[in-house]
Amino acid sequence: MPTINATVSPMPQVDARAPGKRTPSRHRLRQIRRYTLVILLALVFLFPLLTMVSTAFKLPSDVFHAPPNLWPREWTLANFAEAFDQIPVWRYLANTLFISGMSVLGTVLACPLVAYALAKVRWRGARPLLIIVLATMMLPPQVTMIPIFLIWNGLGAVGTYLPLIIPAFLGTPFFIFLIRQFLLGVPDELIEAARIDGASEFRTYATIVLPIARPAIITAAIFQFMWAWTDFLNPLIYLNDASTYTLSIGLYSFFGQNTVAWGPLMAACVLFTLPALLLFLLGQRFFIGGISTGAFK
Amino acid sequence: MVIAPLAACSTGGGSDGSQGTTTITFSYLWSGPEAESLEKIIADYNASQSEVKVIGVSSPDFQKQLTSMSSSNGSFDISDNFGDVVGSWASKGILAPLDDYNIDMSGFVPSSLTQMKYGGKTYSLPIAIHSQLLMYNKKMFADAGVQVPTTMDELADAALALTKTDADGNITQLGLGEAAPGATQRMIAAAFGGSWWDKDGQPTPLNDGNIQAMTWYQNLVNKIGPDKIAKFVAGYGQYQSDQDPFFSGKLAMRIDGEWNGVGIPKVAPGLEWGVITIPGASPQYKDTTEVTASTLFIPANSKHKEAAAKFLAYMVSPDAMKAFTVALGNMPALTSLLDSSADYSAIENFSAFADALKSPNAYAPSSAVSAGEYMTDLNKAFDSIASGNETPKKALEQVESRVSSYSK
Amino acid sequence: MSLRRPASAQTIPSSARKPGDRSSRRALWLGLAFASPFIIGFLFLFAYPIAASAFYSFTDFNLFQTPRWVGLDNYSQMFGNPTFWQSLGNTLYLTVIGVPLAIIISLAGAHLLNFPVKGQPLYRALVYLPSIVPIVVGGYLWRWLLNTQYGFLNYFLGLFGIDGPAWLQEPDWTKPAILLMTFWTVGGTTIIYLAALKDVPQELYEAAEIDGAGAWRRFLNVTWPMISPVTLFQVIVTLIAFLQIFTQPFILAQQRLNTPSAGPGGSMLTFAMSLYQNAFAFLKMGYASGMAWILFVLTLVITLIVLATSKKWVHSANN
Repeated sequence: MPTINATVSPMPQVDARAPGKRTPSRHRLRQIRRYTLVILLALVFLFPLLTMVSTAFKLPSDVFHAPPNLWPREWTLANFAEAFDQIPVWRYLANTLFISGMSVLGTVLACPLVAYALAKVRWRGARPLLIIVLATMMLPPQVTMIPIFLIWNGLGAVGTYLPLIIPAFLGTPFFIFLIRQFLLGVPDELIEAARIDGASEFRTYATIVLPIARPAIITAAIFQFMWAWTDFLNPLIYLNDASTYTLSIGLYSFFGQNTVAWGPLMAACVLFTLPALLLFLLGQRFFIGGISTGAFK
Repeated sequence: MVIAPLAACSTGGGSDGSQGTTTITFSYLWSGPEAESLEKIIADYNASQSEVKVIGVSSPDFQKQLTSMSSSNGSFDISDNFGDVVGSWASKGILAPLDDYNIDMSGFVPSSLTQMKYGGKTYSLPIAIHSQLLMYNKKMFADAGVQVPTTMDELADAALALTKTDADGNITQLGLGEAAPGATQRMIAAAFGGSWWDKDGQPTPLNDGNIQAMTWYQNLVNKIGPDKIAKFVAGYGQYQSDQDPFFSGKLAMRIDGEWNGVGIPKVAPGLEWGVITIPGASPQYKDTTEVTASTLFIPANSKHKEAAAKFLAYMVSPDAMKAFTVALGNMPALTSLLDSSADYSAIENFSAFADALKSPNAYAPSSAVSAGEYMTDLNKAFDSIASGNETPKKALEQVESRVSSYSK
Repeated sequence: MSLRRPASAQTIPSSARKPGDRSSRRALWLGLAFASPFIIGFLFLFAYPIAASAFYSFTDFNLFQTPRWVGLDNYSQMFGNPTFWQSLGNTLYLTVIGVPLAIIISLAGAHLLNFPVKGQPLYRALVYLPSIVPIVVGGYLWRWLLNTQYGFLNYFLGLFGIDGPAWLQEPDWTKPAILLMTFWTVGGTTIIYLAALKDVPQELYEAAEIDGAGAWRRFLNVTWPMISPVTLFQVIVTLIAFLQIFTQPFILAQQRLNTPSAGPGGSMLTFAMSLYQNAFAFLKMGYASGMAWILFVLTLVITLIVLATSKKWVHSANN
């Protein structure tokens, strides 16, 4: 399991700094080949992001320059100023943060409850419910998209954040499953002991189960945050007033007006990506751990 | 903290102020300098009375506009679009009928009003009229020694003569370009006697003239190379900006509307451009022009229809319409204003566009219920034709096979 | 195998007591209480919408007027509609080419990230990084990279003497462009593979090496069978993602003023995009609901086919 330290470790000290001196052994050659391949791989994935950052700091004359150059001829913050001028970045950041934060709250409240019912409460509904949870994970969201829209529309909630937030409070199948899998690994004796002590079921849940399940809950919280942060389709369907836009929709709307304002657009993209990047750097072990359990990508 | 943003986002429709002032939201598709001109008119209106306070929002996004109007909670009380959407929207109940409000509907250019009606009621009112003509760069014509074309064959020759490529075969200058994808293809059909609609506004993609026009276009594109054109178009700058290909001298000809008469002097002063009518394939098809109207309407989900109607009445009154159309370089939709064109004399090439309205070959796009779906399919077919992937007949036959599935 | 594990009975606490028993009834109430958020969620966000969607698919419904029963009209229109087939064709093109390539790229990437070299956590983080970039940002970033005049992709191709195409303007090249963008975000799949590779017992490789197996043989005889359950999971997840692909083509095809767009010649119109346009741009809610059901059935059938064939190629730990 990677640690936070691992990500901020300095560039690797490549062993093959001076290959020419001795006749390199076969092992050495193989290591050089391995370093080359893996560094190349990392660069291929990183490169598009580098161009995003570099374009954001370029002057227009430099942006529209063929052939393209990665290093800006002259660094400028003009694109950021322009982006702030044309897009209410702070407002969109706040809106997106609010939606993401509320979704996380909903997930953290609801999912462990349901997971507990599936993993640790001995009742007849556990198995059928588990099958339902798994089945809904496979369901294309398009199947329910239109009726759900009509429900919210009937409630007069289209245009508000409710359709984007409330579902999280009703439990997300992916996270319920993730936390349930984690809880299965918690010994029953711990819970039984509390029950014998006369603690109510909810008290047992709150004081014993929740603290133990913290790693799984944090993983779910991080992924929920990322999903809400980057979501496009739901805000596209439900938000129609520019003052309520999330960053996704704000960018989409900006591009619809200025299809070639690449400098400011890339600047806005950088601002939009930074919070996600920060969360990734801080919570990397939860990311990698969460993915490796195979529950989601 | 939880309540505030939720409350803030549900006030989109506007709210009643304390002193009997109703606040309404006017969401419009205009942006940039045009939006600034519009904001001045809104400010004038707000200053002139205290019953209605209008908040203008520039939102150039067709999809969002429709999404907002198709929910029970809209985000605006009045908005604009083009006349061809009215039928489709009115039939679905998206628009509020305007007949019950106190709006003077008498002085409009008659042809501009026909699109605004559906089932005997008026759902929208025009504020400006547009016509489209062939704009050309005078200097590029002179440099290449090319004469202004008078037939479609001459137009093709001119387009080829004005297209230049560099040593690698990449286009550096294009003879005939488009203001929007598919626009040119749509508009040259009439020059071959074609039409995309019948008298009732129903789709007729397989009309002979349409196929001839598409064949003409495909031949022209094939002579230059569809992939080369695609590459050149990919590098187009923003429409109506100083990077606009026509404004920056990368495009010799384009079929486009009268608003350029304000846009070009503002953004690309010094550009010498002329306007001619689109040549006809034969004399009876000359002087064709597509006439559209910018219209104002009130969505059915507005909670302040009364106040919105008052503002709408103001916007289509002679003073406001004149201020608006002069600022944007559009033609007014009131007969009295259109006839007194002295106010518009400062707009470059204005009279050519205004004269085109009187041409017997002027036509308006259908405002039938299916217009939106049909346009999307046509644009797809235009793409296939322009890229040389389909013959015109085959591409348009595919559209024809879709027609039966359109909403009615 | 992650997908099947939950279905096996041993993990479900079996009720030792007979139903009707007092404490069993108490457990039932407890279970219902704890599960209540999802039970409500299931009813309102899944059960009712699924039924409603089926109902709407047999109606003509534009959101404003009451749904009008039209029987199978929506479905027969769909099957006679070239746009429907085009969107299905585009989606299958992306799926058939995208799934195997995404799997191969992730597996190859995981192999590289499994090399015994220094700095692997950093390389792994960099490979995963694009997956946390908001998909809208990714879309615009790739539009910029794919720009024919100022983009880096054609510049790099030019270095190899290749005259790059107009990716987003030529109908033949738009789908490869979408695929390129999706391959950039295979970091999640790669990391699952990496975990699987680390789980392969080292002794198996050593035994194979003693038998004189080369690297390719070792991969075929040891690695591939050992990771095949993970591959099954990845194939299914990737398959579902490709069948529903929406945002990537939607952003790559976006036009000025956000008029409904399908890319040049409709070449980017995926099934999910077409469904969205029918529902929210043309307000044909009934027709779009029918499309949703087709997508549902298609996903189900393809997933079941993959599961059915999996017995032939997925190595089970039991034998």
